[in-house]
Amino acid sequence: MNQVTRRSFLRTTAVGAGAAATGIGTGPWVRRARAQGAPLKIGLVLPYTGVYAELGNSITQAMELVFARENWTVAGRRIEMIKEDDEMKPPVGVRKTEKLIDSDKVDILTGPVHSGILMAMRDKVHSSKTILIVSNAGADAISRERCSRWIFRTSFSNWQPCQPMGTWVAKNVTKEVFQIAPNYQAGKDDMEAFRETFLPAGGKVVGEEYPKLGETDYAPYLTKIKQSGAKAVFAFFSGTDAVNFVRQYSQYGLKEGIKLTGPGFLTEPDVLPAQGAAALGVITGHFYTPLLDNPVNHRFVKEFREKFYGKMPDGFACQGYDTAEVIVRAVKAVNGNTQDKEKLVAAIAAVEFDSPRGRFRFDPKTHNVIQPFIYIREVREIYGGLANVPIDKVADVRDPGTGCTLPA
Amino acid sequence: MPSLPDVLGQALNGLAYGVLLFLLSVGLTLIFGMLDIVNLAHGSFYMLGAYVGLATLAATGNFWLAAIAAPVAVGGVGALVERGLLRPLYRRSPLDQVLLTFGLIYLFEDLVKWVWGGRIRSIPPPAAFSGSVRLGSVTIPSYRLFVIAFGLAVAAGLWLLIERTRLGAVIRAGVYDAEMAAGLGIDTGRVFTAVFAFGAALGGLSGVIAGPIQSAYPSMGVSILIPALIVVVVGGLGSLKGSFAGSLLIGQAETFGKAWFPGVSMVIIYLVMALVVLLRPHGLFGRPLK
Amino acid sequence: MTARTRGRTRALAFAVCVVALLAFPALFGRYPVRLLQEILIWAIYAMSLDLLMGYAGMVSFGHSAFFGIGGYVAALALARRPDLVGALLLPGAAGAGAALVLGLFSTRVSGVYFIMLTLAFSQMFHAYAFQASWLGAEDGITGVPRPALGGAPLGDPAFHLYLVAVAALAVIGLWRVVRSPFGHVLVGIHENEVRMEAVGYPVRRYKLLAFVIAGVVAALAGALYAQFSGSITPDAFFWTTSGEALLMVILGGTGTLGGAALGAAAFILLQSLVSTYTERWMLLLGVTFVLFVLFAPGGLVGALRGRVGLRA
Repeated sequence: MNQVTRRSFLRTTAVGAGAAATGIGTGPWVRRARAQGAPLKIGLVLPYTGVYAELGNSITQAMELVFARENWTVAGRRIEMIKEDDEMKPPVGVRKTEKLIDSDKVDILTGPVHSGILMAMRDKVHSSKTILIVSNAGADAISRERCSRWIFRTSFSNWQPCQPMGTWVAKNVTKEVFQIAPNYQAGKDDMEAFRETFLPAGGKVVGEEYPKLGETDYAPYLTKIKQSGAKAVFAFFSGTDAVNFVRQYSQYGLKEGIKLTGPGFLTEPDVLPAQGAAALGVITGHFYTPLLDNPVNHRFVKEFREKFYGKMPDGFACQGYDTAEVIVRAVKAVNGNTQDKEKLVAAIAAVEFDSPRGRFRFDPKTHNVIQPFIYIREVREIYGGLANVPIDKVADVRDPGTGCTLPA
Repeated sequence: MPSLPDVLGQALNGLAYGVLLFLLSVGLTLIFGMLDIVNLAHGSFYMLGAYVGLATLAATGNFWLAAIAAPVAVGGVGALVERGLLRPLYRRSPLDQVLLTFGLIYLFEDLVKWVWGGRIRSIPPPAAFSGSVRLGSVTIPSYRLFVIAFGLAVAAGLWLLIERTRLGAVIRAGVYDAEMAAGLGIDTGRVFTAVFAFGAALGGLSGVIAGPIQSAYPSMGVSILIPALIVVVVGGLGSLKGSFAGSLLIGQAETFGKAWFPGVSMVIIYLVMALVVLLRPHGLFGRPLK
Repeated sequence: MTARTRGRTRALAFAVCVVALLAFPALFGRYPVRLLQEILIWAIYAMSLDLLMGYAGMVSFGHSAFFGIGGYVAALALARRPDLVGALLLPGAAGAGAALVLGLFSTRVSGVYFIMLTLAFSQMFHAYAFQASWLGAEDGITGVPRPALGGAPLGDPAFHLYLVAVAALAVIGLWRVVRSPFGHVLVGIHENEVRMEAVGYPVRRYKLLAFVIAGVVAALAGALYAQFSGSITPDAFFWTTSGEALLMVILGGTGTLGGAALGAAAFILLQSLVSTYTERWMLLLGVTFVLFVLFAPGGLVGALRGRVGLRA
């Protein structure tokens, strides 16, 4: 081999790398602010690339909103957010978690979106006594047999939006329901949670189907739903699946005659624009909608839209907001002393405040958030756009926490 | 016991899905049949087609324009890829070509994410086919009927082109014996570029046609790649007939699998493929690898 | 340089590497050490694939099947036998068994069909693991302990020693295989299968053996991974895990065991470090990979040896 080709290779790689490098980092990855004291390091393990980057961004933006309001300082310490992209992959999520805990030595860890990542990082968090505030992943187990005194959750457990809907649907829609969810544990658990109150209310499940995760063609299932004689469907889907299912549901003409219901992820703002008119009339249960009528929410929506170019906050943003609020309040309560973990845990557990979703507090039994309300919402067209309009609500929804034995 | 209307309803679903698979896989099988290249980036062409369609639709509001723009644009990309990246590798082993197309998957996916963002976008069907049709007790969206008709028309058109026209003969000659064809004055280089571009264009077309059913998101290329490869292997690499038969077969197998054997629906296509590879390696209508 | 001195230099270089790996934790913090350990595990996996691809010429997109089997068997076995039997012996045996069965089918075909069949198998494993509740379904198995040698589970320094030891043994083992007459026959089969058949070698049996050896080593890598991260998920079976190993082998240089290790390091560093600074790391990876295939087909090892350029 001769020198010319080696040189040209190096040149080409340099050009190639340079071209790729021009795409480097849109926006700062580590936030700093001007203040005294050792920085309060907050770690975020979230997806910043891929389909679920929407959620990662929503959560992060809301946290930035709260921290900016506090001038990026709490108890004399400046707040430093260290964001790591977990790509929705457990091996990467675990690696990033370890980096944040061992290398960056964060004071408080937050995230993730993916329940699989949460379950994989749980043991590391617990054994290293790192305080984790779960800002999305809904795996029920974290509030049940896998709970930990160091882990809190501000978002929801998968059970919470589903269980109250059983009673509501039986009373207000119909007693003959077809259930459908993707074929994985979370999907099956959600359907189980619904049946917990649906069956005792006199409801009957006339059919159940579990298509594979990432299914693109729901036609065979839609045909089955039609043939089952069900008067309503309770469906759990999120992300791309939610878009495809809801659109195909409408295309197959099922909407007239068979009411579509489900937990909120079916029509959250990350999927609603792509669903379009197909989502009209869909009824979902969730702890939040930007249309909630309370002063904290009005302020939250206004400030969020001002800061982020008119973007409407969604449930994920609310989760981020609450996570940041919890951090700010707890750290203030311990005067910035995050070294005493026991005191910090107690302070977090005691946090109570008015959140956009209602009065926020943790359940001491599970460290999971007590949903002040699960709102029943209907997708309607308002102000020229689509939104989840609250039409009813169920108060004080707590995860049962079966199998969780936290020290009091 | 499922009733006749049930079965017919599902069979119609299976046909629509199968035809979509055909549109997806025919480009892949043509490229292999003509050029002996397993183009793993075929899924990326599918994805690019959907996004070009999305952009055209956003700019013009006309679905049919989008349906033309997508194959044209993606065909152009295909031509560039063949001339710039694959042609230098013809001297090397076919493995290198396969590997290069594998690298392109990452490249295209991130490029699309960069330009259009990561969230899911929907492509509404054209106004003419946005309703649904009742056939007895079965309701089917009229767009799916359009896809069936369109796919069958494409199949017929391709068959005519390859078997019955002079252009097809030239292509077949170039592929069968490149040296001889060159000796006869046929510019094999241009033929290869044209064939690859054509295969890519078909991939792009399938992306925009599938858009109203499956939406558009950056990893759609990767998720469609496996079903496309399976159809092509089952039908026989390089065979148009095989791609057609294979996709219809898989379409029905998948649909009835989902409806009647939910436990195995995740693995049905892999099982079918494994059986075909073991019992009849060149697939239903293929020829042995050179 | 005579063959003898070349052999000695190589042995010396290897010894230096091992010592450096062992000394690493003394010089660097926990996170870099963990990154290094993950690289070692993936290097073992990539090297096993290189044996299959680079030497025997069998491109497999289903190699993740054995990685996953190793991981799951280790996770299940360590719950009952938290020792080397559960940590390495059982997963290795499971890998061998699975590779034998899968290999019997897969070696009946070659080329693109081999790729597709191996892919189908690993996808079937994925589908099963994803739905089986006894395997933890989509969340997989968590709480996988480290092996306990002499009482308590291995602490950090001991675990590092254990990993380096297993990696070194794997390298030595694979190296011996590759340099043995068996290994040379494999290369011969890769270059011209028909000729080898004509000369009288039972080609299919050689391929099957190569498949099994590669499967065992991949299973060991999977077992180590489960012990390293404390969990194993169905993702381990997914075809993209095979794809990533493929990328590592190509980046490093096919047909050079050391290349696979280099490739593993390059890939993991790219994925972890670069993604901290830019969202476009996948684009970078794709571009790098394409450039390598075009201009540096010998991978990093080839580039280091000067084999660079279009006509290389």
